[in-house]
Amino acid sequence: MMTCKDVSLLLSTGQLDDAPLSRRLAVRLHLALCRHCTAFRRQLERLARAARAAGREFDREPTSDFESKVGKRLESEG
Amino acid sequence: MEPSLLARLRRRDPASLKAVVDDNARRLYRAARGMGCGRDEADDLVQEVFVTFLNGLDRFEGRAEVRTWLFGILHHKIQERRRMQAREELHDSIDEIFESRFDARGNWTRPPVEPDREAASREAGAAIRDCLDGLSPLQRAVFQLRQVEDLSAAEVGKILGQTITHVGVLLHRARTRLRACLDGKGWTSIP
Ligand SMILES: [Zn+2]
Repeated sequence: MMTCKDVSLLLSTGQLDDAPLSRRLAVRLHLALCRHCTAFRRQLERLARAARAAGREFDREPTSDFESKVGKRLESEG
Repeated sequence: MEPSLLARLRRRDPASLKAVVDDNARRLYRAARGMGCGRDEADDLVQEVFVTFLNGLDRFEGRAEVRTWLFGILHHKIQERRRMQAREELHDSIDEIFESRFDARGNWTRPPVEPDREAASREAGAAIRDCLDGLSPLQRAVFQLRQVEDLSAAEVGKILGQTITHVGVLLHRARTRLRACLDGKGWTSIP
């Protein structure tokens, strides 16, 4: 039987997808029965979404000719 | 990488070079910013990454994907600039924070709160940018590549020269530290 600590550690390390099928099923069963670990998983998802929102802000920073600027630099090196 | 693509790149075929730049330049810029570089520094670094890529094509054996290789060069250059240690200490005090949330039988002592659906991710995005500064450089790199760039643990391991297991440890520490930091800022629905 997996404890809440086992489940949340496996979720937090991001290694669930690489775990054996029996482990993945045990986690799924635990999540179906445990609202605390389900809330924990949602928090991790929320954290990732916030990080991607921060990333999108960075995306707006380079000018639209950024790629062609890099291309010109490569031409001058080539 | 496909041998034909490598051959075209070695010939400096303009269309192939342009495709590589178009596919990766902005992502590399975003990753550099996410890893703590300023605007000008990130701009500069991305150009350097492509120059290094171009000059290394003849030595490149084509075993890795172009993207993995480019991100690896970026990581290496940031490391050089920061003189940061590639090896994370074995112990991190953040591990105790995670431990303290469970009792001896592995049950939650302070259960997580269900996140508020309405919390604006944009505002949380601004808060998280401050919190990212609290991570070690490697934790920051792993978090950025796994969570923002959505790369697999295996690819991130190749880019950073770390085992898949250690990538997991670093991601866990980054997340735990970010959750603690956001909690301190009042974002209780995230941590
Ligand atoms: Zn649980």
